[in-house]
Amino acid sequence: MGMDVGKFMKNPEYEIKLTTHRDIFQVEALEYDRFGDEYKKHSAVVVMGKDDMNKFGLKTGDRVRLMNSFGSIVVELRESKREEPGGLAFMVNSPWSNALVSDETGGRGIPEFKNINAKISRTKDEITTIESLIDR
Amino acid sequence: MVTCTGCALLCEDIEVVLENGGIKESRNACRRGAARFRGCKNRLAPSVDKKQTDIDTAIKKAAEILKNAKSLMLFGWSNSTCEAQAKGIQLAKKLNAAIDDTSSFCQGLLIERVLQKKFRTCSLEDVRNRADVLVYWGSDAQDSQPRHLSRFSVFPRGESRQRGYEEDRLAIAIDVRESNTAKICKGHFYRIPLKGDREFILALMEALVGKVPKYDAKRMLELAGIMKKAEFGVIFAGIGLTYSIKDDIDILVSLADMLPNFHVMPMVGHYNMRGFNEALFKETGFVNRVKFGVKPVHDNKYAVVEALKSKSIDALLITGSDPLSSLPRSILSHLASIPVICIDPCVTLTSKIAAVTIPAAASGLECGGSAVRMDGKVIEISKVVENSYLTDAQILTRLMEGL
Repeated sequence: MGMDVGKFMKNPEYEIKLTTHRDIFQVEALEYDRFGDEYKKHSAVVVMGKDDMNKFGLKTGDRVRLMNSFGSIVVELRESKREEPGGLAFMVNSPWSNALVSDETGGRGIPEFKNINAKISRTKDEITTIESLIDR
Repeated sequence: MVTCTGCALLCEDIEVVLENGGIKESRNACRRGAARFRGCKNRLAPSVDKKQTDIDTAIKKAAEILKNAKSLMLFGWSNSTCEAQAKGIQLAKKLNAAIDDTSSFCQGLLIERVLQKKFRTCSLEDVRNRADVLVYWGSDAQDSQPRHLSRFSVFPRGESRQRGYEEDRLAIAIDVRESNTAKICKGHFYRIPLKGDREFILALMEALVGKVPKYDAKRMLELAGIMKKAEFGVIFAGIGLTYSIKDDIDILVSLADMLPNFHVMPMVGHYNMRGFNEALFKETGFVNRVKFGVKPVHDNKYAVVEALKSKSIDALLITGSDPLSSLPRSILSHLASIPVICIDPCVTLTSKIAAVTIPAAASGLECGGSAVRMDGKVIEISKVVENSYLTDAQILTRLMEGL
C-alpha cells in the first residue's frame, strides 16, 4: 500500500465569495428539528459551479473548510446542477453560513448575510456540528 | 378549512385530518406549511438556569429579570399573533424597554416605505385578478413562499387574466442565482452580479427614459420595454434585493416612481412580521427599533444587531425567534453574558443558552388569533388542536401581572 503523501501536505487555500439563499427542504427540516441530521444535511453544504471546482481541484463530496476572520466551519462540497458564471459559491442560510458573516454593519443593523468572503480548502476534519456553533 | 402560519401568505385553504387529538395529515399546504402542521420534534419545557421547573416558577423568574433590567430589549414577534404583539408593545411601554423584531435585519426597510405610502402597492387578490407583468427581484418565492406563484401570480386565472401564464402573464426574475423561481421565468431571467442591484436599477432607469444604458444595453432596453407596456405590473421585492440596496433603499422608490403602472410588494417570510410592523407603526410612527420612555425614540442603536454588538442591553426577552440561529455568530457573544428569556413552542439554539425558557402554544395549531398577510390583509388564524399550552399573549399578560 502506497503512502498517502497528501496527508503531510497542507491543502491549498483559495479565496471565494459566498452568497446565501433559502431552500424549502432545509426549511422543512428546520420546522421539525433544528438539531437533527436532516437539517445539518441541507445546511452544512456549499455548492459551487463545475468550472470553479475544477480550478480548485475539488470534487463533489469533498469536505471543505470555509474560513475567514469571523469563523471557521467544515461543510460538504457539492457541484451545482446549473450553469454557474463562476466566482461565487452558494450556501443555504443557516447557523453554518452565519458563522462566517461579518460583524461590520456600518451601524445600520443589517449584516451582510449574503455577501461573504472566505477561504476554501479541502480537509479531512468532520463536518461542523450545530452544538459547536452554540458553544462560545 | 384552517390557516397556515408557515409563511406570510397565510394560506386559508388548508384541510386537516385530526386523529386522537392531534393532526394526522394536512392537505393543500406546501412542503413548508405541511411541516408546520406536523410540528416540531422537541417541545420546549419550562426552565430556570437550565434546570427544568414548572411554568409558574419560570414566569416568576422571568418577571424578576424584567423588573431588574436597566436596559431591556424585547425582541422576536414575527411568529406571534397580532394579539400577542399588542401585549408585547404594551409590556415594552410599561417597562420603558427597547423593542425590535426580525424585520430589523429583514424586510423592515421596505415595509416602512410601504406604510409611509412611498410605494404604490396592491393586494394579492389584485395580483391574481389583474397583474400581467410579475417581477421576482432577489426573491425565490418557490422556496420561501412556495404557493405564491400558484395561488396568486403566475399560474392562476384571474378576472382580467383568463389565459394565465400561457398568454396573459409574463414572469421575470432578477437575481444573482438561478433560483427555482428563476427557472420558471424561462427566457426572462436577468442574472446580476453579487451586490449588482443598484447598478442594474440605474441602468434600467436610463433605459426607461430612452437612453442606451451602459450595462447590458440590449437586454436592459428589452426589459424596460416590457415594463413600460405593463398594464398592471408588480415588483416582488425579495430579501436579496433589500440586502443589496440596503444603504440606498430609496433608489427603488425612484425606480417605482418611473413606472406608473407598477406596484411594489415586499416578500415577507415569517407569517406575522408585517403585523408587528403595522402595530408599532400605528403606535409610534416606526416599524421597528424603538425605545419607549417619556416618548418613543427610534434609533439604529435599538436594532437587535447593534444592541448585541455594542453590548448595550442587560437583558433580552425573545418571543418566537431564534437569534442564535439567524444572526451572525460574530455579534452574538453578548448573549452569553446577559439573562435571556426565551418564549417559544420548540427547543431552539437560543433556548439552549437562555436563563429562562417558557413554552408557548404554536400559533395556527394550538392557538388562534389574527395576523397580517404580506400584502397587509388581516387574516384570522385558527386553533386546530386542544392543548394546555399558554399562548404568547397569555404569557406576556402574566409577565405584566408579575412585575
